[in-house]
Amino acid sequence: MISRKIEVEHLTRVEGHGRIEVTIEGNTVKDVKMNIFEGPRFFEAFIETVYYDKVPDIMRRICAICTASHSLASIRAIEKAFDVKVTRQTEILRDLLIHGEMVESHALHVFALALPDFLGYPDVIRMTEKHLNEVKAALQLKKAGNMVHNVVSGREVHGMNERVGGFSKVPTEGELLNIKEAMEKVKPTAELAVKLFASFETPDFAESENTLMALDPGEKFGFLGDQVLISTGERVPIERYRELTNEKTIKHSHAKFSSYKGSPFMVGALPRILLNKDKLSGTARELFNQHKDLLTYRNSLMNNLAQAIELVHSVDRCIEDIDALLSMGLRDEGLVEINPKAGQGVGAVEAPRGILYHDYTFDEKGCIVKANVITPTAQNAANIEKDFRVAVPRLLNQPEEKIRRALEIIARAYDPCISCSVHLAIINP
Amino acid sequence: MEKPKIGIFSLTGCGGDQLMILNLEDELLKLLSYFEVKSFQEASSYDEKTELDIAFVEGSVSTKTGLKRLEEIRGRCKLLIALGDCAIGGCVQAMRSQQMSLAEKMRKVYGVEENYYDVLEPKGLAAYVKVDLEIPGCPIEKNEILHAITSLLHGDSPETIDYPVCVECKLNEYPCVIIEKSMPCLGPITTAGCNARCPGLGLDCIGCRGPIKDETNATEELNLLLEKGFDFQYIANRLRFFGGNFDEIIKLTSELKKKAEKEGGI
Repeated sequence: MISRKIEVEHLTRVEGHGRIEVTIEGNTVKDVKMNIFEGPRFFEAFIETVYYDKVPDIMRRICAICTASHSLASIRAIEKAFDVKVTRQTEILRDLLIHGEMVESHALHVFALALPDFLGYPDVIRMTEKHLNEVKAALQLKKAGNMVHNVVSGREVHGMNERVGGFSKVPTEGELLNIKEAMEKVKPTAELAVKLFASFETPDFAESENTLMALDPGEKFGFLGDQVLISTGERVPIERYRELTNEKTIKHSHAKFSSYKGSPFMVGALPRILLNKDKLSGTARELFNQHKDLLTYRNSLMNNLAQAIELVHSVDRCIEDIDALLSMGLRDEGLVEINPKAGQGVGAVEAPRGILYHDYTFDEKGCIVKANVITPTAQNAANIEKDFRVAVPRLLNQPEEKIRRALEIIARAYDPCISCSVHLAIINP
Repeated sequence: MEKPKIGIFSLTGCGGDQLMILNLEDELLKLLSYFEVKSFQEASSYDEKTELDIAFVEGSVSTKTGLKRLEEIRGRCKLLIALGDCAIGGCVQAMRSQQMSLAEKMRKVYGVEENYYDVLEPKGLAAYVKVDLEIPGCPIEKNEILHAITSLLHGDSPETIDYPVCVECKLNEYPCVIIEKSMPCLGPITTAGCNARCPGLGLDCIGCRGPIKDETNATEELNLLLEKGFDFQYIANRLRFFGGNFDEIIKLTSELKKKAEKEGGI
């Protein structure tokens, strides 16, 4: 039997380094691999013995584009371990921060990384030849998200203002009003993203069963929570994340692969939107209702449209959070008192790409004894391979170039963050 | 005049320095229009393996594959610019350099000691190839990269900063967080250029722009922090966050360890 290989040498327009390799024998797909060759970074190994106060500052450096997600997951894990209760103002500022991050990250992915696939360009720079105004508007949308990073966290990437116990410096009214004004201006661009992705003929070559997971955000749609919702109807506290993620080391990849009850599963915008659809409100809810027939759980490629709807939600929520902060009156309240103690804590947030877990064990002085981080892309990796396995046989009669492009489109729909995935977690005992 | 050909590449890191370039939302399109962008891995599928006038490389060399890639890029560029701390000294992933063997790291994280990923000890680019300019930061500062690129466009070599964060702190008239609040600030030994961002937020500098080249008086910093009552382990970790590959910090932290052991533990 003649066997042939289809390879995508270097995945581009994703964060980090990965390649795809498919081996075909006759008419059957023999093997599918997503190799992740970003160098391992060993965060969990080197964070040991570090005192809690600077742990989030180091752990957030696992990833640039979801930096605030990492710092908030890290902070939440530490606060759980030490039984810290933060103020209402801190809670709202954190909610604002994670929504700002979602605006920045989704704007970048939807417009600059995914859109070129659908309009037939190699990148957003070359897209400016015909779509200059849209590209400019997209950059302003991204910038509005970064304004939140700057004001709330201290800078766009690897900020430091959000701390265990609160915020070091509380933003001023003027700074928050500037963000609000920017968000109001960019809202039409977020809505444009929904319109665009709803109008494209989204390929269905990867359609198949998907198990979905997302955090339960509580009453309103959002990105912070302590319970995991699964499309099977189960609900599991984040402390039991190991049962959900079940990571294992795979030789072809520096990232570990997750499975739940032996099957791959998906995290990210599509699972969030579908599992928490009843919690959406305002324009995002209207847009979801308009396009809900398109948003099938079986097509992972719909993640782009789900991200676009989350963009609209996040823009509105930033405004809502700012209004709440201003009506409460900003208080320079400092950090709440922290009493470190021996113990363990798990913190989870919905990073732009899906659920992110940080799990720390501390000694009695408050220094890390053991750390484990599970990133969304590590959880999605097995599902991405599943989609490849489904799609390739359906495309076998197509030219090789087309298959290669399809593989890239699938991988990119998950908005993979490969730097994140190679922080590498400790293997389950 | 022909536009200079540039490539933006990354090795092992968080992708934050490329992202900071993309974060130049107001300047990006104009800035890139002065160049022919031949590669921009995080932002484009377009990749032309051609001679380059300038290659910007972020990330540390952490695998043999990464090293090969770096050598290949060096072989076809006139100027090689190390973008950010990872590309200069390995940054946070080098925190345990010479403290923890690769086998130990593999065992802790992957559960096996076998180095089947061809992993190298994380190092900056200059450990392997000639580097023409280093732009520090974790991440790089937007102003600094803009300044560097515009200088290069004019044929000038960009200014490099060789003074500590304290200078900027004083210029801003921020209260000294070491003196006023006894916070373990690394400002005195950290390369400026961030406009004393952390002290401006009431926080102590964690050293994310790396130790000042050839000017770092880490011994005095150490004495200062000991005086303030911080213990050995705390100080050693702090100095190593962004300085794990810097000779003076390696020497100092190993001396600290010996001293602590002699005094009967930490």
